[in-house]
Amino acid sequence: MTRVNQFLSSLLLPPILFLAVYIAARALLEVVDPTPLRVTAALLPIPFFALWLFTIIRGVRELDELERRIQLEAVAVAFLLALLLLLTLGLLEIAVTLPPEDWSYRHVWAFLPTFYFFGLTMARRRYQ
Amino acid sequence: MNNRLRVLRAERAWSQADLAQHLGVSRQTVNAIETGKYDPSLPLAFHIATLFNLPIEAIFFPDGDGKETGER
Repeated sequence: MTRVNQFLSSLLLPPILFLAVYIAARALLEVVDPTPLRVTAALLPIPFFALWLFTIIRGVRELDELERRIQLEAVAVAFLLALLLLLTLGLLEIAVTLPPEDWSYRHVWAFLPTFYFFGLTMARRRYQ
Repeated sequence: MNNRLRVLRAERAWSQADLAQHLGVSRQTVNAIETGKYDPSLPLAFHIATLFNLPIEAIFFPDGDGKETGER
């Protein structure tokens, strides 16, 4: 397995763990009533996100210089595409009435992995 | 920048993976340097020069220099 593929594979477990805890926290919020417990449930995913962040940073430090440049370009593209989507949604909300259950700022996060992998593909092709 | 990396590698019958392992970088990085799509950092350029026991300017030279890499 190449180093870059190891890097990508090491990214899978922490976000899966985070997502599982996030879903569990969301489910807890449906049934838990006292406010302190609800706040605790809402904050539960944070340590798992910190673990994910630590894994990414450690992985980036193990990459060589070209691999780091590729990741930087991928993240830059993803950030800019996300920004574009947010700004476009903002203008569209002014132009027309968007159904909030279909088009809302809270839906933007779902596009981030796609934007990242699009940026990663562009960056990798540049140096092939 | 142009470079003679591919020629130097071939003289030693090394694959790109072999050279990558010697340098501690990925094969993709070696390929990108050889094809001129990526210029190495100064530390990596010095590492390459040390590996081939040559001065940096004997391996890397600016675009348009009279020296040829041999594959363009």
